[in-house]
This record gives sequence, structure tokens and C-alpha cells, in this order.
Amino acid sequence: MRELALVGLIALGFGLGSYYATRELTAFAVLNLAVGALALAMAVVLALRRLRFAAGSHSRRLLLRGLLGVAGALALAVALERAAAWSGLRGDLTFERSFELAPATLKALGELPGELTATLYYDRFDPRARHTRLLLASLAESGRVQVRERLLEVAPEEQDRFGIAGSNTVVLELGSRFETVERPLEATIYEALYRLRSRSNGVIGVLRGEGEGDVSSDAELGFSGLASALATEGYQVRSLVTASLAEIPADLDAVLLLGPRRALLPESVAALERYLERGGRLLALLEPGAQSGIEALLDRWGILAPEGVIVDPASGAAGDGALGIDPIAYNYESHPLSRGLNPDRMTFFAGARPLLPHNAGPEDSVRRVVLASPRSWVTQDLSVLSKPRGALLRGGAPQDYHAIAAAGRYPRAGGEARIVVIGDSDFASNRYLRALYNLDLMMNAVHWAVERESEITLRPKLRTPKQFPLPIQSTLRTFHGVGLLVPELLLLGGALVWLRRRQA
Amino acid sequence: MTALRALMRKELASLFGAPTAYLALSMVALVTALIFFDHLRLYNQILFVYASATMGGFASDSVPDYVNLWDSVFFPVMETLGLTLIGTVPLITMGVFAEERARGTDELLLTTRLTPWQVVLAKFAVAYLFITLMMAVSFLYPATAIEQGGLGLEHLSAVFLGLTLHGAGLASIGLACSAFTSSQLVAAVSAWAVAFLFWDLTWASSFVGERIAGLLDALSMQPRYSSFAGGVVSLANVVYFAGIALVSLAAARFSFDLRRVSG
Repeated sequence: MRELALVGLIALGFGLGSYYATRELTAFAVLNLAVGALALAMAVVLALRRLRFAAGSHSRRLLLRGLLGVAGALALAVALERAAAWSGLRGDLTFERSFELAPATLKALGELPGELTATLYYDRFDPRARHTRLLLASLAESGRVQVRERLLEVAPEEQDRFGIAGSNTVVLELGSRFETVERPLEATIYEALYRLRSRSNGVIGVLRGEGEGDVSSDAELGFSGLASALATEGYQVRSLVTASLAEIPADLDAVLLLGPRRALLPESVAALERYLERGGRLLALLEPGAQSGIEALLDRWGILAPEGVIVDPASGAAGDGALGIDPIAYNYESHPLSRGLNPDRMTFFAGARPLLPHNAGPEDSVRRVVLASPRSWVTQDLSVLSKPRGALLRGGAPQDYHAIAAAGRYPRAGGEARIVVIGDSDFASNRYLRALYNLDLMMNAVHWAVERESEITLRPKLRTPKQFPLPIQSTLRTFHGVGLLVPELLLLGGALVWLRRRQA
Repeated sequence: MTALRALMRKELASLFGAPTAYLALSMVALVTALIFFDHLRLYNQILFVYASATMGGFASDSVPDYVNLWDSVFFPVMETLGLTLIGTVPLITMGVFAEERARGTDELLLTTRLTPWQVVLAKFAVAYLFITLMMAVSFLYPATAIEQGGLGLEHLSAVFLGLTLHGAGLASIGLACSAFTSSQLVAAVSAWAVAFLFWDLTWASSFVGERIAGLLDALSMQPRYSSFAGGVVSLANVVYFAGIALVSLAAARFSFDLRRVSG
């Protein structure tokens, strides 16, 4: 019996070892597993036959009690494990909290019309699959996602069907629709969920013709990232050429003005004003040092945008320019647009002009939303924008919370007009859109302007893994000081014990 | 209580009174250090190749996502350490009961005022203490090096918790296997086989349906341990390893009854 058990265990061990090494059930592995299982089964039968001779009632009671004890322990372990799994209690201790789903992702999951299937397609030895598995496990805990895994080599048809280019790809399926996510991070999965939801939030008209930001440009200071984010969150983007603009189309949900370098034509400004009077919505991203031509219009609507540049020493040398010229904002007024933003969730602006809100009409409500620090001041010297690194002199300029963004609501006969003005356009460019909470501020401004406050949220961030080398010198010091010294001391201890035993 | 303390003292003395304990501690720590250093060196080389001037430097997107400290160095080493535990723990636990049986001192144990459960728990506690110590000395170097890379102590503590829980599961399996035999060799081999079997049951997925494959996946130690290594501490995974310990120790306790019946 013992011989059989030993043979069985060794064969089983080698069969499993072979599988773990190659991740394939080769003939060697299968043969060993089969022989092992057979030998073990025979050993168990022989052992049971031997126990038959323990026929006394007391012995039987004793054995039964022992077996019941083991069975009880097993049942208790399974029950506790199931209860713990049901409770869903888990802690994400990763440095960047990589597996804690953002409220936006949970909301997007909750709003799906049916159950989602997330399938991970991977190669056997792809190390990235580990991270993706943990991320999918977090999604599965929401209760609305069924998670599956498929080896790429056994799913050639699915590769063609879903357009899978390589390992570590997640396919999200909702009914007959699917989204293929090639770089599965929470941010990319969130965007795919949004696309699957396919809700139309409206049409945004983007003004063009006076040096405004280009939503089709993927250059660093282009705005293709913003266009992509708008499309992801259900907005259709339509270009409006200002030179030929007699009237703003009525079917637009909002007009977006992206940092014009030249003043808009008076006819265009007049068309904008008529649009607002009809209850239209305007998002104006203004640049310091550039006259947009709508300053007078904004003033009439309660937002003064004077010439000047905000200098915020609290931000330090955040950008490439002079000290404080690129403010990092962490003060937000309580407003639906800034929901969720707080001093820990900052926004970055690459040069900002100040805004001074004032109420234009008795029923109008104009508010500051994003503020520079109380140490900030405003300089009229626009040349600071092109100055190299270095401190700027404040002179007698007063320090205060200077507004970088402001928002207004204006009840009119044709409906409620809404205006959001931000004193910088670069913050939403491809270079800075995904920095800090810029994307959230921009997209939430759009949602607020078009009266889709329920869409206002904080989106999961795109995190890239740490990819820096550990300096070889410090690595070597640690290797010698800890990696080798500790085993050496232990071995010395063992040698001393051995010598003492021999002497004794 | 005095008898229990005396038994634990005796177990500790016999463990640390022999050079094999120090040898095991030293070897596991050394092997882990060498594997870790090798991974680290390879990682640095790969990173420099990708980030060389012709590829665009560190700031460029030329370095693939998976070439990072966590995925390329720490995680594979921790996975190897988990497997090293499977290889080492049965060697530590093989003699716990089997040696007593071979010498006939197990019957003496039962003549003390200790119940079989107390005997099992005392021996488990000592074995677990030793394994935790082994993990601590092995973990020290990778953790120190990785901490220099700024990856966070919380994550490292999650990995260490996973290691010690994995060690607890393996120690209890080893103890149970040792309790059913008087041969240390049989105890070690059977503990290896059981531990290997439960390490990863995905091999059986090819033979069974999706539902049973899911069940087998839930029974496997490897995905649970991987979760800790990934920095996620889940109550279900903690309870899973505690459950393995509970069932194994109950089986070890059962061996006392079996011995009384079969002689």
C-alpha cells in the first residue's frame, strides 16, 4: 500500500511539475498524472480494506467521529470562504490604488442596459495578464460583469471577429455589441463602457477661422484628445467656420471656442449673442495675451476677462516658463461643475488670464469656479509668458484668490443660457488634457453647460507603470548588505550549532 | 497550559538546536536573493536597451508597459518564492509527527494532559513561526531593493501577508501528511504532491466543463497568492488559506484516532 502511494505521489508530482514548467499537458504530463491517480486510488482501496478489520463498535465510533470532525472543518472552511467572498471585502494596497474602481466606472457599469461579459485574451507567458486579471476581478465584484479568460492560441476565430491584435486584450460584450480594449487599464475600460452605453448627449459646435485650437490636430497643442473625449462621452463635434457664420444653428447643444488667436468678426460675435439670448450655451477657453473679440460680450453677460496674466508663486516652477506663470489650481468654489474636485485633485493651466465675475441681470447667476491660490497676483506685462525660468517681481499688485474659471446661468425667454469661461485653452490641449484633473474639469464643464449634470463625474486616470532603472551601485550595496550578508550570518549560526553538538 | 508551553519549548529547541534549520533559512534567503538580483540585472539591461538614444530615451513611449519593476522583477520573484515554499516547507514539517511515530514518542505525548488538538496546534504554531521567520529573512532583500524604487510599503506588506498565509497553508498540509506516516520521506513526498496539486488546478480545465473548471480555479492556491502579490488583500483569500489550515489540522487530529484504531 505504502509503495503504491509513494509511486502515485511521485508520478503526480512530476506530472504537475511538467505542466507548471511548460503550461502544456504533454504526453509526459498526462501519463504521469494518470499513473499517479491510478496508484493513489489503489492505495486508498487497500487502506480501506485494512481498516475493515477495525471492526469493533468503539473503533468504528472513534473513526466516524474523527471523519465527521474533518468533514465539519471542511464545511466550515467552505462556508466561511463563501461568506467572505460574498461580503466582497478587499483592500487595494497598491501604491497607486490601481484596483479601486473610480466612481465614474461604477456609474458607467450601473447604467449598462444588460450584463456585460469581459473576456481576457492572453498568451500563456504574458506577464501583463496578471494585472489585467486583478482589474477584471475588481469589475466582476460590481456584480454586473461576467469575467472569462481565453488563450489566444485556442481562439483564432474570436481574434478575427473582435479584431484582436495581440495578447492582453480585453473584449467587452454587451448583447450583440462589443468593444475591444487593447491596453486594458481602468481608464480605457471606462471609455469602452461609455461607448457601449452609446448614449447621445448632444452636438457641440466648435468655432474655427480665427486661429482657434484644432480639434483634428494630434500635435501637442492640438485638441484631438478633447474631440476624442467628447466623442467617448456621447457628443458629436461639428465645426463652424466663423467667417461664414450668420447664425448659430439651432440644433447645437453648445458652442465651444478654443482659444482664438485673433478677434472674432463682429458679425460672429453678434451671432453668438443672439444665440445666447435664445438660451444657448457657450464654453469659451480664452488665452492670455490674445484678444478673442468676445470680451465685451462676456462683460455684458457678467464675466469680465481683463488683459493680464495670473502669477501664482504657490505653484512654483510647474511648467517651462517663469516661476508661478503656470498655475496649479487646488481651490474650487462649490459648484456642480467642480463636483468632486478638492485640494487633493488639482488642475494645471499653462498660463491663465484672470476672470472677474459680476452679475449682469437681476436673475442671472455668475460664479467663480476655479481659483488660483491666495498668494496669486496679476501682471499686465504679457511678456512674462515668454520669459525663461526665474522669479517675477510682484511690485504692488494685490494678492488674492484670482478666478481662472467662471460659470453663469441666465434665464431668458427662449430658455436658460449658460456660459463657462476658462482663462486658458492649453489646459485642454493634447499635452495637458490628461494631466491631473484637467480632463474632468473640461468634460464636466461641457456636461454642465449642456445641462447634463448627471454625467458630471471624476474619471479613472491613465496610469503608466514605473519604468525607471534601479541604480546599479545602490542595488549592489543592498545585494551585499542584505541579500548576501543575512544568509551568510544564518549559515555561520548553523555551523556553530553543528560544532557545539559535535563537541557535546 | 504548562504542558502546552513545555511542548512548544521542546519543539522550538529541537528545531533551532539542529543546524538544518539554519541551513534551510540560509539557503532559501540566498536562493531568493540570487534570483531577485538576476531579475533586477536583466530588467536594467532590457530597460536600457529600450530607452537607448536610438529608441527615444526614457521619456518616449518606446518602453513597453510590461517592462517595469513590478512585472519584470518583483512579481516573478515572489511567484518563485511561493514555489520555493512548496519545495521547502515539507522538508521542515516532514519530521514533526513522523519522527515521533518512528521513535515511538508519540504515545508518550498522549500520556501527558494534552489533548490531541493541543498537540497538533502546538506543533503547527512552531512550524508556522519558523516559516514566517524564513519568509522574513528571504523577503528582506527584495523588499529593501524594491522600496528604494518607491513602490510603497503597503503593497510590500500585502505581499508578505500573502507569503505568510501561503506558508500557513503549506505548513498545515505538511503537518497532516507527517501525521499519517512514520516515514519522513513519505511525509515529505506526499506533502509536495498535495501542495503541488492545489497550487494550480488549471491543468484539469481541459478535461472538465466550464463550471467545474471555475470550481477548480477557486480551489487553486496560485491565483489567491497572486492576488496578494498584486497588492490586493481580499478577505476571501485570507479565509481560503485559513480554511486550508483548518481542514489540514483537523486531518492531522484525525490521524490520532486512526492510530488508536489501527495500532
